Amino acid sequence: MQFDSRKYVIITFFILIGIIYVFKLFYMQVVDDSWKLRAQQLAEKRIEITPPRAVVFDRNGKKIVSNKTYYNLMMVEDNIVDLDTVAFAKLIGWSVQEVRDRFVEIVEGEGVYTSPHTGKTTPNYQSIRAYPFIKELTADEMSKIAPHLDKYPGFYEDVTSMRNYPYASGANILGYLAEVTREEVDRDEFYRPGQVIGRAGIEAFYEKQFRGKKGVHYIVSSAMNNTVGAFEDGKYDTVAIQAPALYMGLDVDLQAYGEKLLQNKRGCIVAIEPATGEILALVSSPSYDPNLLVGNRNIRENYPKLLQNPDKPLFPRPLASEYMPGSTFKLLQSLIGLQEGVIHENTGFPCNKSVVGCHNHPSAQSVTQAVQMSCNPYYYAVTRRIIHQNKSKDIYEDAEIGLGIWAKYMHSFGLGQRLETDITGLRPGVIPDPAYYDKWYGHHQWKFSTIRSISIGQGEVQLTPLQLANVAAIMANRGWYYTPHFVSSIGEDGPLPQYRKKHYTMVDRKNFDPVIEGMRRVVWEPGGTARRARIDGITVCGKTGTVENYIGQVKQKNHSVFIAFAPMNDPKIAIAVFIENAGGGGGTWAAPTASLMIEKYINGEVKSTAKEERIMNAVLKGGPK
Amino acid sequence: MRKNQSITGNFDWILFIVYIILIGMGLATVYSVAYDPEYPSIFAFSKVYGRQVMWIAVSLFLGLLVFLIDSDIYRKFSVPIYVFTITLLVIVLFMPEKNGARAWLGIGSFGIQPAEFAKIGTAILLARFLSSLNLKQQNIRTVLIANSIILVPMVLILLQPDAGTFVVFTAFLFVMYREGVTYDPLVLRLVNIIPGIKFKQTWVGSHFIPILFVIVFLSVVTLLVSNQTITFESFPDVELPGYYGVLFFIFIIVLVGYLIMRWLFSKRERKRALIIAIMAFVMSAGIIKVVSFTFDKLADHQKERIELVLKLKEDPDGDDYNRNRAMAAVGSGGLFGKGYRKASVSSVRTNHVPESETDFIFCPFAEEWGFAGSLILVFLYMFMMIRIIMIAERQRSSFNRIYAYSVAMILFYHFAINIGMNIEFAPVIGIPLPFFSYGGSSMMSFSIMMFILLKLDSQRKDVLN
Repeated sequence: MQFDSRKYVIITFFILIGIIYVFKLFYMQVVDDSWKLRAQQLAEKRIEITPPRAVVFDRNGKKIVSNKTYYNLMMVEDNIVDLDTVAFAKLIGWSVQEVRDRFVEIVEGEGVYTSPHTGKTTPNYQSIRAYPFIKELTADEMSKIAPHLDKYPGFYEDVTSMRNYPYASGANILGYLAEVTREEVDRDEFYRPGQVIGRAGIEAFYEKQFRGKKGVHYIVSSAMNNTVGAFEDGKYDTVAIQAPALYMGLDVDLQAYGEKLLQNKRGCIVAIEPATGEILALVSSPSYDPNLLVGNRNIRENYPKLLQNPDKPLFPRPLASEYMPGSTFKLLQSLIGLQEGVIHENTGFPCNKSVVGCHNHPSAQSVTQAVQMSCNPYYYAVTRRIIHQNKSKDIYEDAEIGLGIWAKYMHSFGLGQRLETDITGLRPGVIPDPAYYDKWYGHHQWKFSTIRSISIGQGEVQLTPLQLANVAAIMANRGWYYTPHFVSSIGEDGPLPQYRKKHYTMVDRKNFDPVIEGMRRVVWEPGGTARRARIDGITVCGKTGTVENYIGQVKQKNHSVFIAFAPMNDPKIAIAVFIENAGGGGGTWAAPTASLMIEKYINGEVKSTAKEERIMNAVLKGGPK
Repeated sequence: MRKNQSITGNFDWILFIVYIILIGMGLATVYSVAYDPEYPSIFAFSKVYGRQVMWIAVSLFLGLLVFLIDSDIYRKFSVPIYVFTITLLVIVLFMPEKNGARAWLGIGSFGIQPAEFAKIGTAILLARFLSSLNLKQQNIRTVLIANSIILVPMVLILLQPDAGTFVVFTAFLFVMYREGVTYDPLVLRLVNIIPGIKFKQTWVGSHFIPILFVIVFLSVVTLLVSNQTITFESFPDVELPGYYGVLFFIFIIVLVGYLIMRWLFSKRERKRALIIAIMAFVMSAGIIKVVSFTFDKLADHQKERIELVLKLKEDPDGDDYNRNRAMAAVGSGGLFGKGYRKASVSSVRTNHVPESETDFIFCPFAEEWGFAGSLILVFLYMFMMIRIIMIAERQRSSFNRIYAYSVAMILFYHFAINIGMNIEFAPVIGIPLPFFSYGGSSMMSFSIMMFILLKLDSQRKDVLN
């Protein structure tokens, strides 16, 4: 048969097509990933479930931060059928134009994607995807809309969780949440547009501890965008896990009490448990109700108002305000002097008012008396001895060496540097060192007399109220401290490791005793400056400060400062109170405020009602002296 | 003349087993893709898998009937059989339209598609005609009659319209080619008009059909990739038009083919193999270049028409919906697939791929079994088709051989187009995957076709010529 060989042509065809198809199938199914992505886009959807953020308890087990359920009205454009815009607008209580504008806003809000290869732009908005049409409706608002949603295919309700602050206190500590920025989404794959992130306070600092573990569900989705079932029987699914609760050292009642005491005043209270470094209260006044900044709608409405308030309620004064410490600083000068051996317990200096002004009192015959009477000339003398220890014949070099030693001591008290407290917005304060003055006056151009105002906590020295409270805690502990911190335990794990490390100052324990005795006398002896800080049955030790301050050249009313701890021999609380432009001295306003806080904390209730009334009712708005 | 034999005396068990395996795989895939947890039984009659079980049973019963009937009747009654199937094709044109075509004969969902059975009638008559004792292959009359036998059902099918089955009928051209009935007489008549030329044979005319097939295949593939570009990550500036990929592919094929030829052929023939290889590549390249060049030069409305026929437009949610979804299903299968009954794109429940239990049955299979499954499936079909060619070549009767070739070619067309739809190698025209796709007509017609072949083969020794 002459055509027999043609069977080979046909068989060759078969085999060629077979080989070509196998090659192509191999390429499509094994080599090329683009069809797998396409399949995921079409049918194998990844749904992320964000757990509610961790809740927060205060030291007495009161839930101070919880979550509340809200509702989003979601929209899928492709599922919308014949929308009766007028009726729909009426249902949600908007105008028709507002509804139309919202559509445009959603589409435009998604932005565009620009291909890095071709430069072509495509909108990120996809009509098959769900977008929140109205965010953060309350259960009450949703209950009016939900029953009618069956008439509007393409719209449905979606549950979301937002913060709730049952005590309305401690806004500057807790901070707030806000929507993530584009950069945050790009930087951390946890976040998706529209999600929230801690923006301030411990919400920001403990973001990773708060947010928990996302759950992922892979679902098979139909061409109609309905969920058909779990992908591969949920083989790859993970469960969303809420992070364990955070336990704070904060006493929310004390915090609320402190906020009440400082109403109509600008100032701060910081209370620390000396034995642990846990912050018991951190009042910044004026403050705001943290619920004002929950959710986008609230933030959009309230944030600008808070920002424009001249008293700066958003500004966390105890952390970020750097004040001159005034006479409270004398405690530290005493301790350094004793430790350096330039004075001893019974060193006396005359109250020489020609050096620096002072109030009328007998000359101090000991450190204890100097603290008690807060004698300014005494501390000029002490600080001069610290700065000029005759370690060099050149007086300038001597000052440089002395100030270097002094600054090191101060640093060991956590001053002049940012405390590693678990919150955002901390400022370091200022402890001038030789380099600092070299910059001002030039190298070897300054000596004690140039910088003498630091002796009494004026001049260049600046502390934050938190640092000041930590000084009080160091006094209470007689020489050491734990870095002040808010969170005492993350779940059952205890605080972060940096809060389990004791920091020792450069001053020995024995040198604290005469100074602390002085602090006791400040409150309890007739010559003391803080007799208003007395509490029946509690040995309060304290030190007042009266800080002179200016706006430009105009002298303003003094800041009233007081630091204290109590009880003397088994300190439970260390406290710093700073009231801006209160007028009078530290003993006038700050000392009684501190004593009320101590009484409230130690006794659980305040019996000194007259004192309480006086402080609460006081309106101290500053002004020129 | 007839020996007293058992029915299964010369039965080709190998072909039968491959047939059963494919039917089994097909049923398993139909069950998987259409699975409804409320009707877990495979015999659930309200579901397509239940009905497919029924169709398979009916088909096997019809196969048994075929085996009980003497194989001689096909030759004897070839004309009545042909006329009967043609009559059905005429009747169907008066039936009510369903899904835009008059293809169904019968009531409700239990209709049959006469076009499927017309293939058998045509195959039998063509076999009868081409096996005539005094046939002159190189005669214009022969060519015209053979073509008419094919053309009549083709025209009727196009009237339905059913483009897929229409294309499948060109499979018979290869059968004619195998039997030496080519278009050479026509070509000669045209060529010999020119004074001074008196050819007895032209190469182009003799091999017109395979050449045409190659040209069509290359053109379709070239057009299908015409709107794609090839880019390289390491050379971002280089951008090649899509047909370079086809060229590269052909180069590989030709190279492999040449090496195989070198290995098979004697030393003297190796030179010829090299010339054939070079010519094959140059010609393919020429065709591709001409097609893409012409396509570029076409006016927009002409382009659009071609794009419409080939469903070329990159419009994954519009015109190109089916293929885009099908490719996503197949391509996402990976090496070993997503697992049985775990197809997410092509499952009937998600409905991303329309007709995934009928014309796009390859999608769920490839998605669930991955490349491994695809490879096995392609291999099984290749094996079946080559087995049928082997059976064809061992027949003493040319009627049997021609019939067997028809079966092999029809299977090949269905296989190549149906799988090709899923991998961008064929335009989306709805034809079933033999033995796999759900559907009574295709299951019965392919089974009858197969059993007639098995019957003819089992009685091959009874026939002298």
